[in-house]
Amino acid sequence: MSPTPPWISAPTARALRSSPDPVSPPQGGEVHKYRVAGALAGVVNGLFGGGGGIPLLVLLTRWAKLDAKESFATCVAVILPLCAVSAAVLLLRGGFPLSHALPYLAGGLVGGVIGGRLFRDVPNLWLRRVFALFLLYGAWRYLT
Amino acid sequence: MKAWLIPFFLGAGTGVLSAWGVGGGTLLLLCMTLFLGVEQAEAQGINLLYFLPTAAASLLYHRKNGYLNTAALKAAAPAGTVCALAAAWVSSSVDLAILRKPFGVFLLYAAVSMLLPKREKKTHA
Repeated sequence: MSPTPPWISAPTARALRSSPDPVSPPQGGEVHKYRVAGALAGVVNGLFGGGGGIPLLVLLTRWAKLDAKESFATCVAVILPLCAVSAAVLLLRGGFPLSHALPYLAGGLVGGVIGGRLFRDVPNLWLRRVFALFLLYGAWRYLT
Repeated sequence: MKAWLIPFFLGAGTGVLSAWGVGGGTLLLLCMTLFLGVEQAEAQGINLLYFLPTAAASLLYHRKNGYLNTAALKAAAPAGTVCALAAAWVSSSVDLAILRKPFGVFLLYAAVSMLLPKREKKTHA
């Protein structure tokens, strides 16, 4: 982002800085990239039962050139309906002991709130490193 | 009581990572199957359900903080949901073993791509 010119007042400059997306390119021309990324996430999730966020994140950051933090957060939002559909199928098939899942769900809710609050202050490098760690584990699982 | 506590704290811990979108579900799945003796199929089901409240809670904050790209979300989510259903439907008739190695290679590529320093654009508008 360019340095703020001196003739812009401090409040305006702050508003400009906090505008949602100073890094990403204009969104109009990128829609087809988002669609492809989403479709690929769906295919991976459907075939492997998870992991759709991986191609989604890679394509959003590397191809659509979205800001890293925006990509990680948007991935969570895109994967949520995919998981909801899979969960609905699972529950409709029945035979799933919901009571076993409840403590994990309650914990997840608390973790989600904590993670959501901390997200702004986590360095992008950490996000990328932790994610890479899980990718390496996945690669090892699939390649050996 | 103790039977509740460990899953609760495990869910809370991995929930932080899930909120960041960096693989909390994978860690939860691993801990359930390796340390808590949960069967793979049940662990996958729990993992799926666990993501719903976890992601929903984190998204409230992501939205408030302006991290959600609505254009990407609106384009990717419907495409993804349709493709996930289609892929799940055909997955039983596809030999997934053939896809394991290419997917593994892709994961390796993705890991390297995440670890390499991102090239910053030198020119600023």
